[in-house]
Amino acid sequence: MISGLILNALLAGTMAGSLCGCTGVLCTRMGVNTIAFATAHAALAGAALSLVVGGDPIVLGLVLALVTAVILGPLSDHLRIPLDITSMSMFSVYNALTFIFLIISPGATLASEKVGQILWGSVLAVTLNYLIVLTTLTVIYILFLVVFWGRISSILFNPKLAEAEGVNVKAYTYALVALAGAVTVFTLRITGGFLVFSLLFIPAASALQLSENIRKIVLAASLLRLTSAITGVGLSFTLHLPVGSCIVIGAATILAVAATLSVFKRKRLLKTISFQI
Amino acid sequence: MDTWLEGEVKLKPVQELEKNEVYAVEFQGVSTYYFGEAKPAITNVWLKIPPKSLTLIVGPNGSGKTTLLETLLGLLKPKFGRVKLLGYDVPEQVNVARRMCGYLPQDFMRPPGEPFSVKEIVGMGLASNKPFGKLNENDWLMVEEALNLVGIDDLANRPVGRLSGGQQQKVMLARALVRKPKLLLLDEPFSALDETSRRFIAETLLPSLIEDGCTVVMVSHDVSFKPKGCTMTVRMNSGRIVEVNLR
Repeated sequence: MISGLILNALLAGTMAGSLCGCTGVLCTRMGVNTIAFATAHAALAGAALSLVVGGDPIVLGLVLALVTAVILGPLSDHLRIPLDITSMSMFSVYNALTFIFLIISPGATLASEKVGQILWGSVLAVTLNYLIVLTTLTVIYILFLVVFWGRISSILFNPKLAEAEGVNVKAYTYALVALAGAVTVFTLRITGGFLVFSLLFIPAASALQLSENIRKIVLAASLLRLTSAITGVGLSFTLHLPVGSCIVIGAATILAVAATLSVFKRKRLLKTISFQI
Repeated sequence: MDTWLEGEVKLKPVQELEKNEVYAVEFQGVSTYYFGEAKPAITNVWLKIPPKSLTLIVGPNGSGKTTLLETLLGLLKPKFGRVKLLGYDVPEQVNVARRMCGYLPQDFMRPPGEPFSVKEIVGMGLASNKPFGKLNENDWLMVEEALNLVGIDDLANRPVGRLSGGQQQKVMLARALVRKPKLLLLDEPFSALDETSRRFIAETLLPSLIEDGCTVVMVSHDVSFKPKGCTMTVRMNSGRIVEVNLR
């Protein structure tokens, strides 16, 4: 029974980890971190809303996240407010709504298992259906990147130039943000709402320390996030601690190691340059 | 040969077209404002640029030269007037027209950690014109040709952030050229180049592009520098066209 749970958690951690790492790098490069942040909190609010109205937290979270990803850009254009400000305003609203939904949800609030799953995550929430949906999302995500990589990389390099050359930058950006929202919703179950955002961006920060090639950065972020997920799940089972927290600690440790290695690498490069001079 | 078009400030000359030709660029009373600004960045611009010509747009910093190019490409939306790019209405049909254009932006410098190689960046220039943005072997050969044309084929696999300003500007020029554009828009293309490179581009490369049927619009704040084959010089000041000189 336990080994089945561990296996499910590891599989889910592997897929969600890779998706999170990849999403973090893409969002960082595209400068849409605040949009991803707002979308992620929309997912959290949607999951919390499910406690009040009933229904599947994933479905409600996904709906709210996708709606947010789609409306943020046009809303910002319509209101003539910068996108960052609009995103952070939405983030605050979703945060407030999350707490309101948690408080008004029936039953013992913060102590209940369902609330715990949303806030802190749980490996018990990893079911076969969840794994199937996560696998489907992973396949869609990979296909999207592989098929459209030429245009996506052009946007990652310089969105304004890509637009000037006829790439539909808005459509690709919204699609990637919507995928980021979906990734957040599904990762929420394992890591919890409070920690999912750090898991998007810590592996991206680590990968940026280690490589100077965009494909390697995306791959490294996915692998590092995957490593921290496996380590976190292992630690969680061994020490009986929340799985999300253990994964974040693992990811942060990797970031510290990557940053240290990067310092040595830069020093070595400087030495080589001064030797050549 | 020359005809004259009624504008706000003074009469501006335009060249007549041959049968079945359209102007590469048309501005009809265009004014563009930046977000939150009460004063327009360009005001009541009337301009027609014929195909297969080289037009130089000059003027001091802040005179509206870059705004003019960005309005033309639909990156900025004009508040008044009408813009046509290669005969297509902007912004309604701009994506069709954009695919036939090459653009070298003014802000081309990348930070040292930029994770793309020279070859990848030039290849991106073809992404918008290919189904799903996928490049084939022939496309990569075109990338090599473009790099060779601007003399940086030896830098193909280097990360762009490790290159000098002049080399990076050549990378962006190669990206604009690899698209085999009908209209090439160059924003301060010589700002980081050495004398030899400037001379090659101005006296050999641009005239050969025009011979092949390309229209070149070049923005520069350096009024003393005029590339070979330049047929029209447009002078801007405070967002307005103040003078147009034909060759």
